[in-house]
Amino acid sequence: MSATVRLVPVQEVYDDLLNRTLSRISCDLGRLIYLASTRDYNTGNYYHEGLASRFSPEVARKALESAHRQAFYKVSGFSLEDLASELEAYLRSTRENPQEFLRTWQKLEPYRIAIPSEVNLTVARLFTSNLRLALAILRSRQEPGQPHR
Amino acid sequence: MIGTSSALIGAVVLLVLILVWIRADSTSRRLPSTLDEWLPDHGDAVEVCPPEFVSQIFSGQDLAFISRLESPDLKRHFLRERSAVALLWVQQTSVAIRRIMRRHLEASRLSEDIEFAMEARIFLQYAQLRLICGVLFPLIGLAGPQKLHGIALYVDSLTQRIGNVLREFESAAGTREMDGA
Repeated sequence: MSATVRLVPVQEVYDDLLNRTLSRISCDLGRLIYLASTRDYNTGNYYHEGLASRFSPEVARKALESAHRQAFYKVSGFSLEDLASELEAYLRSTRENPQEFLRTWQKLEPYRIAIPSEVNLTVARLFTSNLRLALAILRSRQEPGQPHR
Repeated sequence: MIGTSSALIGAVVLLVLILVWIRADSTSRRLPSTLDEWLPDHGDAVEVCPPEFVSQIFSGQDLAFISRLESPDLKRHFLRERSAVALLWVQQTSVAIRRIMRRHLEASRLSEDIEFAMEARIFLQYAQLRLICGVLFPLIGLAGPQKLHGIALYVDSLTQRIGNVLREFESAAGTREMDGA
């Protein structure tokens, strides 16, 4: 009974997050990066101003954590072809210079921060491995004939 | 003459297998330290990889896509990356199997009504899994993960099955304890 009482608000917050915020982001990789950015680097806790004020910080934290994990597993499950398209869509959405974006992502690997704290180690490794490959694929399209690693 | 050349070929094959195994083993030993540099802390929790991801790691779909791009450089990069992920999965599965079996042995020691047939079956499945995992290390390096899709799925389903048997065993032991109290 208490579990039901606890779960319903989290689902409600999750739906709110999905409808108000995540639906406005054009691709799944963008949603994942956004959700990861709601996590505090120092404490690992999730925080979203709007959700915390509409509901409660604790329920908002749980909903964000759950949404982050779901988004992560979804992106990790993409085939390489789909992930390359996702990355391309994300790159377009940032409106950054593609060459600069690809070089920076290959060098700094900022997508590592998109890994939630409690996920399977092999899936986490698959995620970074696939992103490295997707970056190399996009770079080979941008700069044919150049080494891409 | 045939005997000598067969023995020579056998020795060379054996030597190659040993070298590949040593290389795969050293690669897998290096994996955690490389990963520890940046992956989140997982502590002691060894979770078995979800089956859909096992299928994905060993699937030929991504290799087919990469092959269509006709870039030897990208293909080499892909094969290296995917083999590393596959080796990590084998390593993680081996650790999970050992942990499952250790917990099962601890639970069995405390149990009063052990079924020997079931224990023998679990032990045989455990031995089979350890053997396949040991063989998978060199095979991933030799043949690539894509050719081992069926074996990987078999290992995964057997690991899940052993894990389920253990959970049932522990829950039955818990029920008996509660009844006895």
